[in-house]
Amino acid sequence: MAEFFLETVWIVPFYGFMGAILTLPWSLGTIRRTGPRPAAYINILMTLVAFIHGTIAFNAIWTEQTHQLGFQWLSVADLSLKLTVELSPVSLGALELVTGISLLVQLYALGYMEKDWSMARFFGLMGFFEASLSGIALSDSLLLTYGLLELLTLSTYLLVGFWYAQPLVVTAARDAFLTKRVGDIAILMGMVAISAYGADLDFSDLREWVSSHPFNSVGAALVGLSLIAGPTGKCAQFPFNLWLDEAMEGPNPAGILRNSIVVSAGGYVLIKLQPVFTLSPVSSDVLIVLGTVTVIGTSLMAIAQIDIKRALSHSTSSYMGLVFIAVGLGQVDIAFLLLFTHAIAKALLFMSAGSIILTTSNQNLTEMGGLWSRMPATTIAFIVGSAGLTSLAPLGMFWTFHRWFNGSWNVDWRLLGIVMFANVLSAINLTRLFRIIFLGKPQAKTRRAPEVPWSMAVPMVALSAFTLVAPLASINWPLWLSPNIPISPENASNVTQFATPLLILSGVLGCVIGSLINVRQAWARSSKVYVRFVQDLLAYDFYVEKLYEVTIVAAVSSLSKVTSWIDRYIVDGAVNLVSLATIFSGNALKYNVTGQSQFYLLTILLAVSVLLWSILNGQWSTVTNYWSSLIS
Amino acid sequence: MTATFKTNKVQLTQDYIERLEAGQALLNDTPQNLVEVIGVLKSYGIVLDAYSVNLCYIANTQFLKLFPFFKYFNGDINPKSFVKNVWHDRINYEYAEYCMKSMFWHGSAGMDAYLDSDEFTDIVEEVVSAKFKFNPLMLGLHKVFKDFLPEHMRQMSYYSGLGQFWRVMSDMFLTLSDRYDQGEIKDIPDVVQHILDGLVADAAKPITYSVKVGQKTYDIIPESKGITFLMDTGVPYVEAIFFRGTPFPGTISYNAQAYQIPYDQGMFSYGALYADPLPIGSAGIPPTLLMQDMRHFIPDYLMDIYRQDNRGEGDLRIKICQSFQKSMFCVTTAAVKGLAPHALDTTDPEEKAANHKYLKAWLKRLFASQMVKVNG
Amino acid sequence: MLSALILIPLVGSAVVGFYPDSKGKISRNLAFFCAIAVLLINLYIGWNFDTENTGFQFAEYIPWVEWLGLDYNLGIDGLSFPLVCLNSLLTLIAIFVTDKNISRPRFYYSMLLLLSAGAVGAFLAKDLLLFFLFYELEIIPLYFLIAIWGGKRRGYAAMKFLLYTAFSGILVLASFLGLAWLSGANSFAYETLKLHDLSLTSQLLLLAPLIVGVFIKIPIFPFHTWLPDAHVEAPTPISVLLAGVLLKLGTYALLRFGLGLYLHAWVEVAPWMAILAGISALYGASCAIAQKDMKKVVAYSSIAHMAYILLGASATTRLSVTACVFQMVSHGLISALLFLLVGVVYKKTGTRDVDSLRGLLNPEKGLPVTGGLMILGVMASSGLPGMVGFISEFLIFRGAFPIFPIPTLLCLVGTGLTAVYFLLVINKVFFGRLTDNLDSLPSVKWVEHVPAFALLFLIIAFGLQPNWVIDLSEVQAIALLTGG
Repeated sequence: MAEFFLETVWIVPFYGFMGAILTLPWSLGTIRRTGPRPAAYINILMTLVAFIHGTIAFNAIWTEQTHQLGFQWLSVADLSLKLTVELSPVSLGALELVTGISLLVQLYALGYMEKDWSMARFFGLMGFFEASLSGIALSDSLLLTYGLLELLTLSTYLLVGFWYAQPLVVTAARDAFLTKRVGDIAILMGMVAISAYGADLDFSDLREWVSSHPFNSVGAALVGLSLIAGPTGKCAQFPFNLWLDEAMEGPNPAGILRNSIVVSAGGYVLIKLQPVFTLSPVSSDVLIVLGTVTVIGTSLMAIAQIDIKRALSHSTSSYMGLVFIAVGLGQVDIAFLLLFTHAIAKALLFMSAGSIILTTSNQNLTEMGGLWSRMPATTIAFIVGSAGLTSLAPLGMFWTFHRWFNGSWNVDWRLLGIVMFANVLSAINLTRLFRIIFLGKPQAKTRRAPEVPWSMAVPMVALSAFTLVAPLASINWPLWLSPNIPISPENASNVTQFATPLLILSGVLGCVIGSLINVRQAWARSSKVYVRFVQDLLAYDFYVEKLYEVTIVAAVSSLSKVTSWIDRYIVDGAVNLVSLATIFSGNALKYNVTGQSQFYLLTILLAVSVLLWSILNGQWSTVTNYWSSLIS
Repeated sequence: MTATFKTNKVQLTQDYIERLEAGQALLNDTPQNLVEVIGVLKSYGIVLDAYSVNLCYIANTQFLKLFPFFKYFNGDINPKSFVKNVWHDRINYEYAEYCMKSMFWHGSAGMDAYLDSDEFTDIVEEVVSAKFKFNPLMLGLHKVFKDFLPEHMRQMSYYSGLGQFWRVMSDMFLTLSDRYDQGEIKDIPDVVQHILDGLVADAAKPITYSVKVGQKTYDIIPESKGITFLMDTGVPYVEAIFFRGTPFPGTISYNAQAYQIPYDQGMFSYGALYADPLPIGSAGIPPTLLMQDMRHFIPDYLMDIYRQDNRGEGDLRIKICQSFQKSMFCVTTAAVKGLAPHALDTTDPEEKAANHKYLKAWLKRLFASQMVKVNG
Repeated sequence: MLSALILIPLVGSAVVGFYPDSKGKISRNLAFFCAIAVLLINLYIGWNFDTENTGFQFAEYIPWVEWLGLDYNLGIDGLSFPLVCLNSLLTLIAIFVTDKNISRPRFYYSMLLLLSAGAVGAFLAKDLLLFFLFYELEIIPLYFLIAIWGGKRRGYAAMKFLLYTAFSGILVLASFLGLAWLSGANSFAYETLKLHDLSLTSQLLLLAPLIVGVFIKIPIFPFHTWLPDAHVEAPTPISVLLAGVLLKLGTYALLRFGLGLYLHAWVEVAPWMAILAGISALYGASCAIAQKDMKKVVAYSSIAHMAYILLGASATTRLSVTACVFQMVSHGLISALLFLLVGVVYKKTGTRDVDSLRGLLNPEKGLPVTGGLMILGVMASSGLPGMVGFISEFLIFRGAFPIFPIPTLLCLVGTGLTAVYFLLVINKVFFGRLTDNLDSLPSVKWVEHVPAFALLFLIIAFGLQPNWVIDLSEVQAIALLTGG
């Protein structure tokens, strides 16, 4: 029986799709007299089914070999496209994570979105979201993954654009789509290229293909870079990190998914593509550089944010930066663990943030305070989430980092430095947030703060509990992903010896700094110009958005204006002028009289006929000769 | 307003003051407006009745419940009502709760003074220990998060308070409709007068709240605290729901760095009088729920008028919202009149000056609302 | 059987044109009847179609003007059959979405049927001169359809269309006549002429006018300027046909005659054509970004997407050429859908200006379903997997990349830009708060969306099951390359 569920696990994504389709009567407005909640129930039920199916399969996979299920999709000329699904503990575990978090988030959304009449559309999109994500978790085919990533891009666009009448949403949705799309197009280029050079687009065959690839060094570097671009957009890495900030305009439940498992999908694809990055040292270097820049930049940005969601979302980019570094180093198991631990903890933090926003109708940190004694579930979720995210308490991130530096991987001081930097700043940020939100005296907007209803509290409590047991995964992780068991390098003993204490120390340091800084005033306007400058620089994301505006946006828009002008005045004019027709119709184009046009129509037909006749004239002899020869 | 459109604010203020002193309402007195106001208030009365019943039901029976699964059932739990609930074929009580929460959040000075007192905490303490006598987990939680359950009971008090306020309003609107049907209400000033009379009649009605745990009844808000209908629920309600409201995520960005939402709640202008009716029905617009509830109870004479429009019932909720705003300006007029320091038609110059000062303060806020647009 | 495909609309056109009917109801019903009959015949042909056959099927032959070598010579194969089906479907849709109170209904429906007959005739013609006749025949009704029922500058647009396409016809004809002359063949039959053994120079000389001729028709930069004007002025149903079918005459001729008859010369000029395709794709996309008229955006997008067919055709790999046919179908469906939806917006709001439209997703007073369909249509156009636009373009790129990597990458960038210009339009027109001057738009009835839903269904169905189209044309497309 379990075998049956295992072999049919590819159906799981379809549950989500089905849920999405079943919401159509409500979201299209066919059912108008009664409310949209049935659509929500249907989707939650579908997700529950998906979760149960996934769980049975996940339990069954432990006794099975990792294997693929292939489906011949298209065979044309010399190309054959397969859609392959991989059944392995990793893919099914990822599936569990996706359906599990999705289930909790949908339950959460039932409370969060209760007064939104467009709930059906929201849940439909969530179903779609979940379907794409669970497909990515299972997929073993670059083509299938690409397709699902695109669907993810679309559903991100629609979810961010959910409140479409709100002006900032309009630009946020557009930017989210276009940023991700840039990455997707790059993946498509890379995919076309490697497919043209003989790869069969299955992840599991990539390693073999890589060993006999036909590229020169430039080609290999370019292919690697194009495949990196996609996850760079998805994981909100520099320079494609801004969309995640803007995407916070969308409803919070979608934000939970986005900051936990959607960005992780990008990292997951990166892990799957890792063999390709070994083609050229350039790609792995780029991964490490991008990751490092993002870790440093976004960690700093996070501590200057005054918006609760944005303070958390920048930190998402920062952790994804660590994933990039790990993949760049070829340490994919660590990358996977980072994704896993981050996803759970960040989901929890975002749930907590959502309940604060709903209760206080406010996202501005400077107007918060004193919530802890009134909102137990929210407070616990925030504390547990923070503990899971920083390497201080013995929870997920601590064990993941510990695992990274316990001597089995080739690590050095620079890496430890970056990880410690991320950890310190993350601890500062979370301590700062905790103090601002939960401690201190209540302010006007947090004066009345009853705890959220059960449908939001239950997911928070459940996920808190899960975060507490999640470290078991990091501790027992048996290194599934790495091609060969890493050997302990000899010269790194110093690092591994001091790493764990240093990491704990960094966590402590972060908490101490976080509790010492004067949160109320430090981030209010300072009278010193340079402080203000730094503060604004960080709060407005290093003005990267302005940078985009004056570079790429300006370039495309002026280019398009120039092209359009050329089209209208030069190309059109020139072709009109040159065209034979204009020559003999003189100034015909200036007159718009139908009668006159009809005259020209006749002229043209006449001209054609004359032309026809005159050319055929030369053939007369041939034609007659032919026929006479036949007759005679 | 006169036929010519006046942009001059001072002049406009003067006009409105004159109207009010002449016994007119903030809303133009036209037959069309009258039909819309009466029709929509009739359906609003029916909806408020349901809201009020449910709010009181929740306050009285669902307090201190962590999982109030059936709070919208009003105690009527059977397969049929279950199916109706699952199919969402019910009144959207979420909107009543939404109003309650915004009122709670913005606060009623009278109620809050009591709810923040030790007296209230003591009685809650009693209720909690009675209710969770055999539940050490909850008692433990209560020890650690000591404001959790009191805050919950404060919210329950607002449930009850708003429920009792709406009880009066619902009856008032339904009698208004009955009087209109009997031909007693002829124009907009009659409507205002009816509402004003209703408010005055019940002004001193005490707001109380008591719950039963086991066999014992606890007076959470005893009558002796002097919480009354008009000043402790009516006026705060108008302030919180008509004027301030909470920003709709469908039109306003909550982004802190966008600074779209003012720091001071007193500067909020997202209430029923200000809301833009056009986005009703879109995502992130909570009043859609109210309009949706009212659509089921619109009287035929008003429905016929709505159907004549080019979209017919297609944009019904927006039309209801527009009529609803008109009716709310009538209610506001009644409130303004009722709270005025002196009768508005006074001839005493001193009283008149005091009235002017009072009215100017109101009008200043009202000009930012949809009022001028509705009358334009 | 094939004659019926041409004769039914042709006779229908004549009947509608002369049958007295002032209200237009009978004309409309007659036109409907013809369109449905043609569609049914197509289904019959599809049922009996042999996908393994490399030659023409259902061939019909009647000697006609024998001294001229012009014969009535029809046949259908995998190259033309999908396009014939597309034509009949879109004709039906065009009639369906035509305003019931259109002025001069008899003339209108008569011209519409004539247009359809012309296009189908051109696809079926196995004789080069016959092809040319139909190719020219279709210009006349289209001219009238734009010039009489078009927008404000219809006279200008119709004239421009006429001049350009007539010129295109002359060039194509010149190439055909030259081929017959130089090869010394005594007929214009495609199968005969295919066997010519002309030198490379003569092939190049003959290919050149043909290419320029069809480039005007497709259109490819820099011969494209008639298209945006024609689209903007044409009424919605005509835009649907123009984008969906008539442009395909150009790409069809490119494959059938350019590639099919002059393979050697083709390979010589292919690198240049590939570069031109890349330029055209980027140029169209770039122009589309700057447009303010929704219809112009779709029109320029059409230019960009048609360029991919040129890319695929120039690459001459088995995959890329097969994908070309698929892309024609795909583009036909998607652009028809987009023009339909823009038409709905225009009909309800009276404008297509992206700056004066806003917030149309409003569920009560806006056009929410149109907006939803538009988002999906736009996604199809920008190559969202699961829809037909993705797989057809992917196959072209995949087929062309090994031969012309740089032009392929340029076209890929063009695909990326598709999302840019369409999203700009969508976000401006459909998102945001509905503006006050749009608050009394008439509602869209469900029946008005039936064609759009039908097209969307096909777009998704073929996107998930591309084999259904590809299997029809794969054998013949490959045969073009082997001269079989």
